[in-house]
Amino acid sequence: MGLQTNGLSLEIVGREISGRPVPGKPRRPAGPYLLGLPALLLSSLLLIPVGITVVAAFRLPDGSFGLGNFAVMGDPEALHAVGNSLAWVGVALGLVVVGFLLAVVSYRLPGVSSFLQPALVIPFAVSVLVSGATFRLIFDPAPERGTVTAVSTALFGSSPVWLGPGLFWLVLVSAFGWTWLGYVVSLFRAGLDAIPDDVSRTVAAEGVTGLRRLRMLELPLLRPITGVVTLTLVIAAVRVFDLVLIVVPGPMQRDADVLGLNWWRATSTGGDPGRAAALGVVLFAIVAAVAVIGVRGLRRRRWAMPVSVVGADRSVRRPRPSRRSRRIGWTVGFAVGLVWVLPAIVLVATAFHSPREAGLRGWWSTAGLGLESFTDAANAGLFRALLSTLVIASIATVVVLVIAVPTAYLVAWGGLPTWLGRVVTSAFVVLAVTPVQMYAAPLRDAIGAAGLAGSRIALGLIHAAAGLPFAVLLLRSAFASAPPVLVAEALQGPARQSAVLATVQRTYRPALVAVAVLEFALVWNDFIVGFLISGSGTTPLSLVLWGEARQFSASSGTVAAAAVVASVVPVVLLLTFWRTVVRGLTVGGRR
Amino acid sequence: MISRRLFLGAVAAAAVSGCTPDVLGLSRSVRVAVSWSGTELRAFHSVLDGLGDLEYPVEVVPLGDDISTAFGPRSARRPDIVMLPQPGLVPRHLRDLDPIPAELVDRNREPYWDELLVHDGTTYGLPFKTAHKSAIWYRPSVLKQVGAEPPRTWSEWLALNRSLSLAGIRPLALGAGDGWVLTDFLENVLLGSAPAAYRALAVADDPRPSQVSAFAAALRLLGTMWSAPGTLAGGVERSLVQQFPDAIVEVFGHHRAAMVLATDFAEPVVRSFAVDPADVGLFTFPALSRGAAPPVVVGGDVIVLPRPTTDDARDLVRRLAAPAAADPWIATGGFLADGRTTGYSPELTRLAEQLVAPGSSPQFDLSDRLGQLGDLNGLWRVLTDFLIRIGNRGSDVVPEAVESALAELKQVES
Repeated sequence: MGLQTNGLSLEIVGREISGRPVPGKPRRPAGPYLLGLPALLLSSLLLIPVGITVVAAFRLPDGSFGLGNFAVMGDPEALHAVGNSLAWVGVALGLVVVGFLLAVVSYRLPGVSSFLQPALVIPFAVSVLVSGATFRLIFDPAPERGTVTAVSTALFGSSPVWLGPGLFWLVLVSAFGWTWLGYVVSLFRAGLDAIPDDVSRTVAAEGVTGLRRLRMLELPLLRPITGVVTLTLVIAAVRVFDLVLIVVPGPMQRDADVLGLNWWRATSTGGDPGRAAALGVVLFAIVAAVAVIGVRGLRRRRWAMPVSVVGADRSVRRPRPSRRSRRIGWTVGFAVGLVWVLPAIVLVATAFHSPREAGLRGWWSTAGLGLESFTDAANAGLFRALLSTLVIASIATVVVLVIAVPTAYLVAWGGLPTWLGRVVTSAFVVLAVTPVQMYAAPLRDAIGAAGLAGSRIALGLIHAAAGLPFAVLLLRSAFASAPPVLVAEALQGPARQSAVLATVQRTYRPALVAVAVLEFALVWNDFIVGFLISGSGTTPLSLVLWGEARQFSASSGTVAAAAVVASVVPVVLLLTFWRTVVRGLTVGGRR
Repeated sequence: MISRRLFLGAVAAAAVSGCTPDVLGLSRSVRVAVSWSGTELRAFHSVLDGLGDLEYPVEVVPLGDDISTAFGPRSARRPDIVMLPQPGLVPRHLRDLDPIPAELVDRNREPYWDELLVHDGTTYGLPFKTAHKSAIWYRPSVLKQVGAEPPRTWSEWLALNRSLSLAGIRPLALGAGDGWVLTDFLENVLLGSAPAAYRALAVADDPRPSQVSAFAAALRLLGTMWSAPGTLAGGVERSLVQQFPDAIVEVFGHHRAAMVLATDFAEPVVRSFAVDPADVGLFTFPALSRGAAPPVVVGGDVIVLPRPTTDDARDLVRRLAAPAAADPWIATGGFLADGRTTGYSPELTRLAEQLVAPGSSPQFDLSDRLGQLGDLNGLWRVLTDFLIRIGNRGSDVVPEAVESALAELKQVES
């Protein structure tokens, strides 16, 4: 806002003065920097291998350096994989749009969300491997077994082979959508709920409705959340790996090839490590570019929604919708919820059939019900795997929390010079999106050389290192969105940092819970880190599941049983804490 | 709130109590890498359970198709014992292997193993499980329906296929989702039609398959069967998405086909999914021409010891090599032990007897011996494309498809 009088041009700064009212450079104590030391040490678990991979990508077989390894990108198969990876990015963007529209519908038609919410959370909580297996069950080519094949055979007399050439994309995209839509809708919904009621009422009173209202009100206000959602989904799309492995039958695998898989084949067939490293660097470059673009859009709002310190007065909330719109909402929500929960029903019902029956007939069959499939899964070492997954996930979660909190504190309030804060944040953003392929090969070699092969502690630490950047970023934005007065009081009062920490503890619980729950669930559901770093021989759950799924339909009962057992913990965890997690992800310290 | 705390407390307690050295992966166990999964993996667990009390923990590592990555420095957790499903890999990995304990070397084994497992007088592997890859499982009731007997020659088989399709029955279910099903089919045709060419390809790197005219001829023969309209149950697309157990279910569970080329180890799958347990039959791959010997292709899993080995690993090998060790698996079905002809189901007994019959000369799986050429990106892929080009399209398209397959193969060879 500018003001001009008597030849003077005055500018009014529209923000609170938060710095110290003393001229000169502030004295920066060195102490807080120590808070960043553990994070640096843990992150070097990734940084050093990433560095080695980058060097390997540019080192030619004769020892000189150059771009020769990147000639691998001229390979038609690699190009095909890049094309497929880009197509996945398109799928991710489409999913963001669909999720946004669903969120708007559920916002305008109350009653929808009561059914939709749990139905959408369950897929997000189960691992990619489980959702892939579920959709392979649903689209099984035998009309006796596959739900969709049975329905289309009943309706049209015959059915396309859904897992066959070309059509397998449909199965892949459905599984991907099933997993992620809940996340998209929940986050957008939280953003919509945070729009102050007086704003939306004003807009409504001015007669702005429909698309115009969407463009004027909801889209701009949701920009930060759109950024977070798009970023997460695009990264998930570029990282697609285990989904293809479990869904696509062998002969079609090369049609479905994506960059991550192409890299894995290049390393596992004993090809030139330099070329594999080059593939990893290309994958990394794509993800990093997307991340940087995404984060630039976010910087102004710092991930988080503005915080309303004073809760809205309940009596002036949005007007209660008419009975008719409530009924429509209820019906829509029920229908969508039912469709959405169907795959979970298919999985559980299949698990409760004997392996023979599950191999012969679909989940709706009434013959051969029982726990036989669970017994079979138990004999395949499932419970040992459960225990070791629990150990790995607990180690990772505890380590991440212990290290991320002081680091986020340092970045948010530690008095870092602005440039350093920016560098640290950017480094964490880049690390957060680094694909496993960038550090898997050197780490695997190092772990093998150190005699730590198979150590669950090592695997847990690697998971912690991989989860740390995201945790720090999330906590940082939560800390940074604190009411400045509160922070200033805490910093200047006699109790200083302990008071700040107390504030953290009180105000930022949602963010802390979100970090803990998400890290635990991510590690629990992980396939790719365990697979690429420990090899397919170790016992995390997903690898046992993968082993059982190798002869898919003949062992579908056992696979389903193992999948159900593997999913119980993350589903219960996320259903219990979902509201807190969403709040932690979107609004930082909103109480 | 209380329940949440209870839950977290329980999680923490479980985590602490679970932190035994074994779960943390710190104790030194004997790691056995296998390629088995599902029923076979469980059967192997029952074999291990039957070995009695061991002084060391045994960890089974199911590596699946990646089993060849078990050797060499690139492997993450080097196994102590590998149950190698591709005996053809042994000669390529002599530097990575330790010899088998001396007292086990002189055990009787069929002579065809020695070619692969013995080098310069040192034995590098022990046969654990033999796979008979020239077996066709079928439903006798269907053959009776068209008044046919199991075929003894290739032309009888083609004729049987024709009469079955005329009667509205699809003759063949093909588990093309597993590449080895396709290569096994080709190997049988090649071995049956040109045993000398088969031997030449197996033992030397030169000539390469694409240069051998017998190889092209075998592809043409195979093409005549696969291309005949109405032969493959569900057509090419269904064949591509089904693995060998699915093909077996198509025959014995859903009755959509009459026969399936599978191995002896398909037995448990056949038995567990057969709707009518009495309606299960087996014939061995027919001779390619009258008077020629029928082909017998064998594979198997051999026990090898990656270098350097340990005393515990040697001890486990001794126990696994004991004749009675495999009994639990033999009881489950789908297991042939080297040289043994008793104790099996009637069908498997016939297969076991054919392996030791004086006239037959079993040959090892060719694709295992071609190295990378026989692998996922080599012969598997070439045959998949071949199937896509010819399946259900009639014999007219075969010559052209053979040319493209040879061209593709040549590209992989270079």
